[in-house]
Amino acid sequence: MTKQSPGRLRRLGVLVAVPVLGALTLSACSTAGNDSGGNSGGGSGGETKSFSFVFPTATNSESPYETLAKKYTQETGVKIEVRKLPNDSYGTTLRTQLQGGNAPDLIVVAPGRGQEHAVLPLAEANLLEPLDDGSTAVVPKGSEGLFTLDDKTYAQPTDLVPVGMVWNTGAADKAGATFPADATGMLDLCRKLAGDGKSFIALAGSVPPNLGLMAMSISATRVYEQTPDWNKQRADGKVTFAQSQGWQDVLKTIDDMNKAGCFQKGAAGGGFDAITQGIVRGTSLGAFVPGGAAQEIMNNAKGVTLQIQAFPAAAGAKPYLLASPNYAMSINAKADAGQKAAAQEFLNWLAKPENAAQFTKIEGQVPIAGVEGAELAPQYEPVKSLLTSGDYAPLPNLEWPNPAVYDALAKGIQGMVAGRGDAQSVLAATDKAWDGK
Amino acid sequence: MTTQIGTDPVVREGSPAAGGGHPARSRRRRPLISYGYWWWALPAVLMVLLVHYAATSGGAFYAFTDWTGLGSFHFVGLDNFRRIFDDPTLLGSLKNTLLIAFGFLILTNVLGLLLALALNRTLKTRYLLRVLLFMPVVLSPLAVSYIWKFIFDYNGPINQLLGWVGLEAWQRPWLAEPGLALWAILTVMVWQTTGLVMVIYLAGLATVPPEIEEAGALDGAGTWGRFWHITAPSIRPSIAIAGALMLIQGLRVFDQVMALTNGGPGGATETLATQVYKETFALSNFGFGAALALTLTAIILIFSVLQQMATRDRS
Repeated sequence: MTKQSPGRLRRLGVLVAVPVLGALTLSACSTAGNDSGGNSGGGSGGETKSFSFVFPTATNSESPYETLAKKYTQETGVKIEVRKLPNDSYGTTLRTQLQGGNAPDLIVVAPGRGQEHAVLPLAEANLLEPLDDGSTAVVPKGSEGLFTLDDKTYAQPTDLVPVGMVWNTGAADKAGATFPADATGMLDLCRKLAGDGKSFIALAGSVPPNLGLMAMSISATRVYEQTPDWNKQRADGKVTFAQSQGWQDVLKTIDDMNKAGCFQKGAAGGGFDAITQGIVRGTSLGAFVPGGAAQEIMNNAKGVTLQIQAFPAAAGAKPYLLASPNYAMSINAKADAGQKAAAQEFLNWLAKPENAAQFTKIEGQVPIAGVEGAELAPQYEPVKSLLTSGDYAPLPNLEWPNPAVYDALAKGIQGMVAGRGDAQSVLAATDKAWDGK
Repeated sequence: MTTQIGTDPVVREGSPAAGGGHPARSRRRRPLISYGYWWWALPAVLMVLLVHYAATSGGAFYAFTDWTGLGSFHFVGLDNFRRIFDDPTLLGSLKNTLLIAFGFLILTNVLGLLLALALNRTLKTRYLLRVLLFMPVVLSPLAVSYIWKFIFDYNGPINQLLGWVGLEAWQRPWLAEPGLALWAILTVMVWQTTGLVMVIYLAGLATVPPEIEEAGALDGAGTWGRFWHITAPSIRPSIAIAGALMLIQGLRVFDQVMALTNGGPGGATETLATQVYKETFALSNFGFGAALALTLTAIILIFSVLQQMATRDRS
């Protein structure tokens, strides 16, 4: 008997396998091709009824952006495909997607240059679409430099974000504590709370941006209240972080807080969950999170009442706050024309005062036009006078030249809290990052 | 009477049919695989060249530029490489990389070999134990790291256990103390990978004839003598393979560092691989990140060659 069958079967198998593999490859390439530049339903031109929208989120609960998207869909019938990305990798993922041509149509960006997802470097690389006059009209006077390039607006700010610290009033009452009037009172309260097994602040010590936010909140009274144009002076080379008494005071304050037990036990290794658990359970009375995060926490933890407080100033100094349009929305330049148009219509809808006010209420922020005549959320009551009188500075890193500056400051402080490094070396490293060395 | 036709030309040409009849070649049949010998491999070769070598070379090109990952760039020559060796932070990352790599190499190989020797013969439950010890290897390194991050947490099981047994003074933020974080990362890496090294050594030990060991024992060689003079030379290829794999894996460690400490606290656990990621994607220094990646590649190559030279068969 001849051995023909195995060889014949093998040849048949090869002849079948090649076209099958080719068909699979072609269909995979076809799917990948459809995914580029926008990634949502709707045609490449003409009327479209949907677009995709990406934003950062730090929790699993419904984000204000999701709520906003649902409202828009209810009113207009236009579907929005929302995509959430984790907060700590948002900038990196977004840049990769934009560069790769597969980013969503509408994206949340940061103003200026100082963050990974800052609008100006993306606009310079032609990755963002210029917006129309409706978006330009929303940009607050004096902040144009953070949103425009060559007289074109590339991002539409959504609201004003006060940044101080959140304070759990219910937990404070139970602990017999009132918000300290100044830094000296704060350190005394820290020691008292530490003795009772609680802490003044819940710190996410393993997440450098939380330490960076703490430093910036403290800098409101130590640096920017006395020198509102400190960032400009630094850009002109007139001052440095290392030689700035204000920034040295910021880091000394953090060191004093660490030694006084202001942070929870194990703070150096804590994550964002340490903040939410500490605040909700009342084991920590405060935390450094943006104002909108207070609304999210209250939405998900019934019975918890939070307020926004300005970080205590040094004894005898004026209180001061940080508040600026920290979030904005831009359109992906590589999206299809129909989706770009749909996204711009959404931005124009959001620019209308009644819709902007709705979103501000959902997000728990302050209207972009300011506090005058606006209905302020109750959590901002303690800082209302500062907002009304204009005693606030923009978030410092919005005006810093690159993300490495904030990264150097935040990581340096993380090392300090963990017992590695000192204030002078941290400030020197921050200067080095500013100068691009 | 049978005749081989088709796949074996040697048989066809060299072996006359049984009984001395004519060669059984009823029709001309050439196997398809020998007909398409070199050009059938061409698509795969092109894919490897394009996806692997061309992409890597393209990335390496940017090591000599100041590209930020967006927009245009300028050539800066060797500036990026000079910056690597001038920056104390990066030298610290290099130190951490070498510490983790050699710690990982030594610990996995010693523990893996000990486990392989223990589970090679005799023990009745050795098959079950081999499975249990190998199981961590098949898990995702990222998932394992996140579970260990919970275990190492200040309020996690380790500190709770220490509290229960009255050792509160030993409670630590294991991942947030600069002196302990690197060892915590090493613990997780060794825990997950020792099973793989054990399997490599078990395969090597299976080739060592028990009769030679028995002969050595009869000649008066002790346990250590039998291991050093009989077992170790016999499993030299396994030592070379396990050593090479663990060294390369240790030098390019990334998942565990990012998941457990993200390079912190204050850069205390940064390695070259994490620095490549952060410089390239987080800080938009694509050119500098590419230079770091090239440097890391060169280090891995040098150490791999040295390791192969050290463990080669000198007979």
